[in-house]
Amino acid sequence: MPDFRSFAFAASAAALTLAAGPALAAPAIGQPAPPFTIKDGAGQTRSLSEFKGKTVVLEWTNTGCPYVQKHYESGNMQGLQKGATKDGVVWLTLISSAPGKQGYVSPAEAKTWKATTGAGSTAVLLDPTGQVGHAYEAKTTPHMYVVNPAGTLVYMGGIDDKPTADPASLKGATNYVAAALSDVKAGRPVAKAVSKPYGCTIKYG
Amino acid sequence: MALDVTRFLAKLAAACALLVAAPALAQPVDTGHLVAELVARDQSIAPGATTYVAVRQKIDKGWHTYWRNSGDSGEATRVVWTLPPGWTAGDIVWPAPTRQPTGPLMNYGYQGEVLLPVPITAPANAKPGETVTLKAAASFLVCEEICVPEDAVLTLSLPVVEGLADPNPAWSGPIAKALSDAPTPANFASVFAKQGTNIVLAVTGEDLKGADVSDAYFFPFDSTLIDHAKPQAIERGPDGLTLTLTPGYAFQEGDGPKTMAGVLSLGDRAYEISAIVGTPPAGASGLGAPPSKAVGGGGGALGLPLAAAFAFLGGLILNLMPCVFPILAMKAASLAGHAHDRRTAQGQGLAFLVGVLATFLALAVALIAVRAGGAAVGWGFQLQSPPVVAGLALLMLAVALNLSGVFEVGSSLQGVGTGLAGKRGMAGAFFTGALAVVVAAPCTAPFMAPALGWALTQSAPAAITVFLALGLGFAAPFALAAFVPGLLTRLPKPGPWMDGFKKLLAFPMYGAAAWLVWVLTIQAGETALARIFAAAVILALAAWLLGVAQRRRAAGEKPLLLASVGAVLVLAAAVAAIWPSYGAPQSGQAASASAGGAASVPYEAYSPEKLAAAQAAGKPVFVNFTAAWCVTCQVNEKVALSTQGVAEAFKQTGAVYLKADWTLKDAVIEAELAKHGRAGVPLYLVYGAKGGDGVILPQILTEGLIVRALKDAQSR
Repeated sequence: MPDFRSFAFAASAAALTLAAGPALAAPAIGQPAPPFTIKDGAGQTRSLSEFKGKTVVLEWTNTGCPYVQKHYESGNMQGLQKGATKDGVVWLTLISSAPGKQGYVSPAEAKTWKATTGAGSTAVLLDPTGQVGHAYEAKTTPHMYVVNPAGTLVYMGGIDDKPTADPASLKGATNYVAAALSDVKAGRPVAKAVSKPYGCTIKYG
Repeated sequence: MALDVTRFLAKLAAACALLVAAPALAQPVDTGHLVAELVARDQSIAPGATTYVAVRQKIDKGWHTYWRNSGDSGEATRVVWTLPPGWTAGDIVWPAPTRQPTGPLMNYGYQGEVLLPVPITAPANAKPGETVTLKAAASFLVCEEICVPEDAVLTLSLPVVEGLADPNPAWSGPIAKALSDAPTPANFASVFAKQGTNIVLAVTGEDLKGADVSDAYFFPFDSTLIDHAKPQAIERGPDGLTLTLTPGYAFQEGDGPKTMAGVLSLGDRAYEISAIVGTPPAGASGLGAPPSKAVGGGGGALGLPLAAAFAFLGGLILNLMPCVFPILAMKAASLAGHAHDRRTAQGQGLAFLVGVLATFLALAVALIAVRAGGAAVGWGFQLQSPPVVAGLALLMLAVALNLSGVFEVGSSLQGVGTGLAGKRGMAGAFFTGALAVVVAAPCTAPFMAPALGWALTQSAPAAITVFLALGLGFAAPFALAAFVPGLLTRLPKPGPWMDGFKKLLAFPMYGAAAWLVWVLTIQAGETALARIFAAAVILALAAWLLGVAQRRRAAGEKPLLLASVGAVLVLAAAVAAIWPSYGAPQSGQAASASAGGAASVPYEAYSPEKLAAAQAAGKPVFVNFTAAWCVTCQVNEKVALSTQGVAEAFKQTGAVYLKADWTLKDAVIEAELAKHGRAGVPLYLVYGAKGGDGVILPQILTEGLIVRALKDAQSR
């Protein structure tokens, strides 16, 4: 435990020293989630701070990515989204693909995609500059983050423990996001706070 | 005899099998972005024996598949075997991967053609004569920028034949090579420890002593151990090496992992290691970063002969650089004075050569000694110390005053060129040589940098050889001029014009003094200005007093008081320049070496983190390693870097401009220079937008060259 604390301290010290530079500090569990303000598919400006007091899930996606398709074509992601939002959780789906790259969508296309997939997310946020993706050091699609009502990052990593694009792997998979959400709901510390994200590389510009 | 018959029958059976189904026959499958097939090392397998069957991937150009740990994204190739009862397949013997940078991420995998060998064991009861079908369901994630999961069911027919199997002519060689090249557990001691925000991984072992570790890289088996995209800093030690890694997710949980297993690759060799938490042994570090060998600017793995040749050439060119030109011009004038007295001229030429060589030798020895003590110094290190710069500024002023005729060196006031005593002329030539070397430090000539960079990573004798070669090149034109008879007689005849020429040469020396004062203010701030000016005025007064004393003595007087006051003042000026020590400049960093405000390209002070951040953001990066005392650097900044065209190119390409200022000592910058095989500035690096290593630009820049390099970096 003391090790972890000193690490967290070092990480925040690094955050301070780097604040002036172009690089943002790496997001860390137990630290405030990096704030952001961007537009959603409907053209509305959304920021993380407007959801203070609520649990927020951040989901990075890319419609062309086979790993994303595993979770959407099977209905796994939509089920997770609907269950969470019913519990009062805010679910934000982010797309950091740059224009011209795989997964980039216009606001209109984002709206259509959300409707046709039957996504249960609160909003689809468009991050074509990759600004939010870089702030969170999001690497893959999917890449999942859970922020608790206090605005603290409590989970980051993969959606589950089966890093493959094979839909058959969904059976028997341990869903880390679902587990983290139930830990937050029950007021417990998140048991599995970090895991390896898996999937396609985010197509940053 | 009976045995022979069985053998014969087995061979016959094999021959039949050959006719029915060719041995080890497989059908390649094109899955879209790669062609996969099973290939066997042997033409057959004996009951109870083990052979190797490899999944061969021929991957489309530009695409890659993954290693067992795919890195930040991607997925390892998977193979699921369907074998006849009793047959078993072992784990894939993974070849050492290569790095596949993708935007800000780092993946580990393979490009081109790759073999993944798998041991296949036949049961003891396998029937000779039968041919079995090995079936492998392979799943590949094939990525370029986008990723496509591709599957193939691969089959291979393998005859069971008693006795030693014949090798498969097409594949036994490649598979044997893949197996022998694959990382194997090494007899190394590996420990890791958390140090600040980093992880240090220290590996020591017999095979690592004196090994070339410039390409060392740790590929962890577990993808949560390190941040794959962060650079791994290498430090050499007498018994091994130390890698500085950035911790991955695993270190955010509890106390962090207890072991770190993976592949330590040295580029041409790879070892499997398993490190435990512990204190890194002293023998794993202490020798600094390895010299880089992959440099484009003519450096790299120079041998001693080439390094010495470069040094000689660099020394020759150094004569034309602005730092030493005034001094040499002065010396040339004195040489002209002896143009018609061959013996004196030759003696002076030799004395000059000895002066140059002795000074280079002293410089090399000092440099090697200081480096052995662990300090980060390189070419021009003497100019990183404010007292030395202040002392040199006064020396320049004194030489200038001498040339202006304020005072004479020595007591003779006889006219120039009327035959100085040979002995004193020799000493003068020796010290001119020494002076020329000391003031040459701010200038790096082309060819010199790679040679010196190489020299400082070598043993002391090799380093000294290179320094002496540099000295020989430097002294050659002057020394030769004294010996080639035709040359001397072609010099203009001495006469009254020489006095005027000498006085004219004083002005470059005044300029040199002014420039050194400017360097000093950058190093030590504005308060240093008052001190150095006071010292300069005292020195000028002293020079004038000494001059008056010399003239009186020439007139037969004994101006003892005048001379001693002058001497005391010289001492006072010297002390004022050197003591007490200079403070740091108030405005924090000495970063504004470019002064004058002409540079229209905004820059930031260099740090490895900023470089990594800019690279992570997918931007090209231009790094300028410079120093206020480096004349070559300053000329490049004024002539090439501050032009409109370059400013526009920076804007267009979105390139980030980082400046590494080495005006004062800086261990980080020194390490970076060493990494690129350099011992001094200038060094210009351009990093491509897609990451990777920096490209070294020539030491003399032009606008077009920078613009081209930036455009090129944008798409690289």
